[in-house]
Amino acid sequence: MASATDTALVSEDTSETEAVAAGAVGLAAVLFALSLASVFELVTITDPVAGVPMVALLGGLLVVLGFAVVTFGVGSRLGYVATDPRPTAGLVASTAFGLVWFVVGGLVASQSLGFGTAGWVIGALVTGGAAFAVSAFPREDIGSTLPAGGLALFAGIVFLTGVIGPSWVWNLGWEQQASFNAEFTIPVLTAFCSLLVGWAAAKAYGGFGARGRHVGAYVLVYLNAISIIALLFLLVAFTVLKGLPGLFNGFAFGAGAGPEVTLVGLTFSLPVSWPFVMNGVALLNDVNGVLPAIAGTIWLVIGAVLFAVPLGVGAAVFITEYADRGRFTQVVEIATNGLWSTPSIVFGLFGLAFLVPRLGNQKSLLAGMLTLGFMLLPLVVITSRESMLAVPDEYRDASAALGVTKWQTIRSIVLPASLPGIVTGIILGVGRIAGETAPILLTMSGSVAPPGSQTVDVLGGFQFQSAPPFVTNPELMQATSALPYQLYSLITAGVGQSSNIGAIDEFRWATALILLVVVLGFYAVGIATRYYFRSKLQHD
Amino acid sequence: MSETRQTTDDAQATTDSELAGGASPGTDQPLEVTSGETRERTREEWVEHEFEGEAKLSVSDLDVYYGDDHALKGVSMEIPENSVTALIGPSGCGKSTFLRCLNRMNDRIKAASIDGSVQLEGEEIYQDGVNLVELRKRVGMVFQSPNPFPKSIADNISYGPRKHGDLDTGLLANLLGRSDDDAVDELVERSLRQAALWDEVQDRLDDNALGLSGGQQQRLCIARALATDPEVLLMDEPASALDPIATSKIEDLVHDLAEEYTVVIVTHNMQQAARISDQTAVFLTGGELVEYGDTDQVFEDPQSQRVEDYISGKFG
Repeated sequence: MASATDTALVSEDTSETEAVAAGAVGLAAVLFALSLASVFELVTITDPVAGVPMVALLGGLLVVLGFAVVTFGVGSRLGYVATDPRPTAGLVASTAFGLVWFVVGGLVASQSLGFGTAGWVIGALVTGGAAFAVSAFPREDIGSTLPAGGLALFAGIVFLTGVIGPSWVWNLGWEQQASFNAEFTIPVLTAFCSLLVGWAAAKAYGGFGARGRHVGAYVLVYLNAISIIALLFLLVAFTVLKGLPGLFNGFAFGAGAGPEVTLVGLTFSLPVSWPFVMNGVALLNDVNGVLPAIAGTIWLVIGAVLFAVPLGVGAAVFITEYADRGRFTQVVEIATNGLWSTPSIVFGLFGLAFLVPRLGNQKSLLAGMLTLGFMLLPLVVITSRESMLAVPDEYRDASAALGVTKWQTIRSIVLPASLPGIVTGIILGVGRIAGETAPILLTMSGSVAPPGSQTVDVLGGFQFQSAPPFVTNPELMQATSALPYQLYSLITAGVGQSSNIGAIDEFRWATALILLVVVLGFYAVGIATRYYFRSKLQHD
Repeated sequence: MSETRQTTDDAQATTDSELAGGASPGTDQPLEVTSGETRERTREEWVEHEFEGEAKLSVSDLDVYYGDDHALKGVSMEIPENSVTALIGPSGCGKSTFLRCLNRMNDRIKAASIDGSVQLEGEEIYQDGVNLVELRKRVGMVFQSPNPFPKSIADNISYGPRKHGDLDTGLLANLLGRSDDDAVDELVERSLRQAALWDEVQDRLDDNALGLSGGQQQRLCIARALATDPEVLLMDEPASALDPIATSKIEDLVHDLAEEYTVVIVTHNMQQAARISDQTAVFLTGGELVEYGDTDQVFEDPQSQRVEDYISGKFG
């Protein structure tokens, strides 16, 4: 290897150059965060940050970073900085840089310079080829810094000079009038450039070579993971912020604030008044609420779980413990996997065509429960099967050697050991079915904005008779609403039908938030259950 | 088997005393030794073991096949009551397969087919109508790696008897006042004491058994097997996954257990076999029982050249 220096076994104290490189990595991370914040419009690009407009700040930082990285690479090549580079940056990096610069060259040639097709292709090929050559042929320190730093410099200058300024719009000229505006383009480009330049700076910090590649990959993966988590939090935070005003509309707390309830013959006022979750929709309500839909969703999930879990676990026991491994189990496996990926609207149609006519010929809570149960069933089978297969055969051998029968072994050893896995499957499945709209639309759909009196009360709905069928439950046979369905119908219903509801937008967001809370509530119950079963299996 | 004997006789007639070393104590030299691992023929009298008292288990002409693989070839031996019988031999010689035949654990392997006879106190266990639950209650087993259930120590011990319906501790039994809680406590203490584990775990009987050390887990498994009150205890290399101290505890335990139980133990460790067993059976590659006899005799004065080579560490 044509390395300028031998690798020292023990590196010296952090040198100034390393500190500069580390600073560049940090700056790139800050820049990445800033650009993400602008993508989600936490900061608009014209807002001043510390006295400087956001767009100028982004551009300036890019220029600084690009310059730093290029300087580092050149300095390393000339021997001013002790590094351990390889002869080339590698084909993957070169190809990536070539592609990026191909796009840049093509865009500049066609959009800024106004060349025709032949012109921009030639321009793109020239820049792309040059970037490929620069990163592939020189030593790694030049090859991985120059194209990245150059891109950051270029983008920074474009932003600073206002070629792509705050009022920039690029009309694509498609039929749908699609266009890119600066509000979106500048932060996305900045995020991309900051990732590239951060990677190059991280490689420089590691002194290139094997260690440099390791550090570079680490920074890339880390930034990626953080941005995904940030995205998730943002999504939840967005819903919460939008939903909170509607959710706590008319909320009151204190003795006697709430509505009167009667429990075991005692009538008293609840200490909390929370109209959004305690009311339905009615003309005379001060604040309208979604109580019927909440109750509907909860009962739906409970019904589906009660239906699917025993069947699914039973099927999994048969497949793993009794059936011979062979064609049959393979077919069952493929069928369950296929069923789990079947679109929910298909399940809904099945429910509409098969269940509804057989259950009183009307859409009902029971039909919805069963349809969602059918949807949940394959996942319960899959996860139960997996977790039963994960139970070590030593347990089964030990049990058999004690003269315990197969069924008792399954009941006392296999099932308890696989319960955490089964519960995990149920949690995942409930997360899916609780948010399903299509099957509910087809099998259960109640009114768009049900009044509080339509709240389903399954436990109180049982009626006993002396004649067959002895037990009936009209509540189960009634159409009712559920949160995702109500949200959907409120969005599609238009102003007319939802005129009872005052601030309709607030109401929708609060409904979405409540749906999120209900699903997360089921998650919490599931996770607590899993924790309980797992703690019984493990020592400390 | 009979074929083998036939050829042995032929060999006897034709072979000169060309073998090195006086392996055989007999007057004439029956062995046909070529080198090292040899093509020596097994002789019937090597596997005859005279002992006083009753035979607990008697095996005759036992053949086991795994698919096309002939894993055990015509093994016959009698295992005396209340003693320790060690089965030794190199890997793949069929000693574990033999052990698993004694309580029909090989039934659990689909590819295995078993031919021959095993009698427990004169009753054939390979016949129709054998109650496997009862058989395995009487012939308990301890496995190579400790495999306690992920339950509490007490539940591990009482698992077998509860599942057999000998002890009733369910909710219904509690409600009806028929619960055997005291009997369970008694059983747990007795079994743990027998397995020399009581002193170490008596304060944490409700803790998960997986929290015990490897040696303790293995003794718990022995206690679990003892809780069903077996007559025979089969052990498949019970100490191979344990450190020397835990191993010596298990060995002492095996020695004590032999007063009440018939112990059959598979081991890789020849010193262990020499230390703890009353009689030793040597299986060699190919699934043959080559020599069976008093442990002292087998180790000090083996009749077979191959066994001598194996015991003295020339192969295996």
